[in-house]
Amino acid sequence: MKFFNAFRKKSPWILHYNAGSCNGCDIEILAALGPRYDLERFGVINTGNPKQSDIFLVTGPVTYRSRERLVELYCQIPEPKVVIAVGSCTAAGGVFRGMYNVEDGIDRYIPVDVYVPGCASSPQLIIDAVVESLQILERKSKAIETPFKLFGAVETVAGKLSRLGMAKKVTDAED
Amino acid sequence: MSLVMILLAPLLGGLVYGAERVLRARMQRRQGPPLLQPFYDMFKLMDKRTLIIHAPHALLAVAHFLLLWLAVGALFAGWNLLYIVFLHLFALIVLVLAGYSVRSPYSQVGANRELAALAAYEPILVLLAVGFYLVAGSFDVSAILAHGGYLAQMPLLFAALLIILPIKLKKSPFDTVEAHQEIVGGVEVEYSGLFYEFLYMARFLEYLFVYGLVFLFAGASPLWGLLLVLAVFLLVNLVDNATARVRTDQMVKIIYATAFTMATANIIWISL
Repeated sequence: MKFFNAFRKKSPWILHYNAGSCNGCDIEILAALGPRYDLERFGVINTGNPKQSDIFLVTGPVTYRSRERLVELYCQIPEPKVVIAVGSCTAAGGVFRGMYNVEDGIDRYIPVDVYVPGCASSPQLIIDAVVESLQILERKSKAIETPFKLFGAVETVAGKLSRLGMAKKVTDAED
Repeated sequence: MSLVMILLAPLLGGLVYGAERVLRARMQRRQGPPLLQPFYDMFKLMDKRTLIIHAPHALLAVAHFLLLWLAVGALFAGWNLLYIVFLHLFALIVLVLAGYSVRSPYSQVGANRELAALAAYEPILVLLAVGFYLVAGSFDVSAILAHGGYLAQMPLLFAALLIILPIKLKKSPFDTVEAHQEIVGGVEVEYSGLFYEFLYMARFLEYLFVYGLVFLFAGASPLWGLLLVLAVFLLVNLVDNATARVRTDQMVKIIYATAFTMATANIIWISL
């Protein structure tokens, strides 16, 4: 509904995920949320829970270990949602580009709405990206957005696609 | 008058919550969100796509909200205080059931902690009602409010209420039930969209319930009651900003060692 669209950008809740970053950008994100830069004045809360988030802040080049979680977290965020790639690693691999354990950037796996440059990117840039992403969030529809790649086997249950074994009931649950 | 208050209770609670977020920001030298931020959050949550685990899980959140509203409404309407305390207990048991009804470990741990917290503070709420009965001669909230102030006769019970307030408001040092950094909100972890909103609004009602209990201590004069609520509001947020979280078992021990002992001593002292 049109009435509610105005409130999307007044209360963006953030999910922050480190996909193998060196922690440089994570510290800058926490600085942006902290008292000095105070992202909360825009209504931002760092929820840590994908099911209650609107903005997905990802840092780091995607390592092989973290890509499943990245896609899983992206799928768990209910629409409307936006993705912000924080730092050069997340955009194109940065200093890790071409390494054997690293995918170069997250846009191989999930669609990205805003890229933030910098190694490490500054709190000002992150605030700018969040404010920029709010306009995208306001325009978005509630249509389901899918990642580019899915991990693990899938099966069809009652005409719907489901992760393998997820729809089966656990009958012999102990304790 | 009280009917209007009851109907507007979530709005009033939302304002209290918004004021608290501004106050906490100012205590940390931040600008903080606008006063109406909780309502913006509410409207946004209505617009989100809702993911439901299973129907009872979603409905228990609604039941929790409605039961809490009933408890707060009964408090405003001047019903029996003991009933109100047990209605509130019922609302929380519903929430615990919701936490146990999904297989998410965080939800289960959150429900465990919610039960431990209930075991810690519920005796004090009951003793509080008993204290009011012994002094005012009635459990009815309207009769309690007609009597003069209670602070002179129930100072230890008031202190006990102050100690359990952080558990109810989910604040440091007793915020293990929610603990966003370790169990991501506990029982509310699997909720999203519209049904999370009911839990979010239940939080507003919890504020009204707790500050309503504080208000009772002033008795017949509403002005002193409001001043008391304001002082407690500042104190709770100051303590929240100044302390770290304790473990759940430590919390239960601390509550029983201090608040429960003080409450019992005060009851014995009144009835002597």
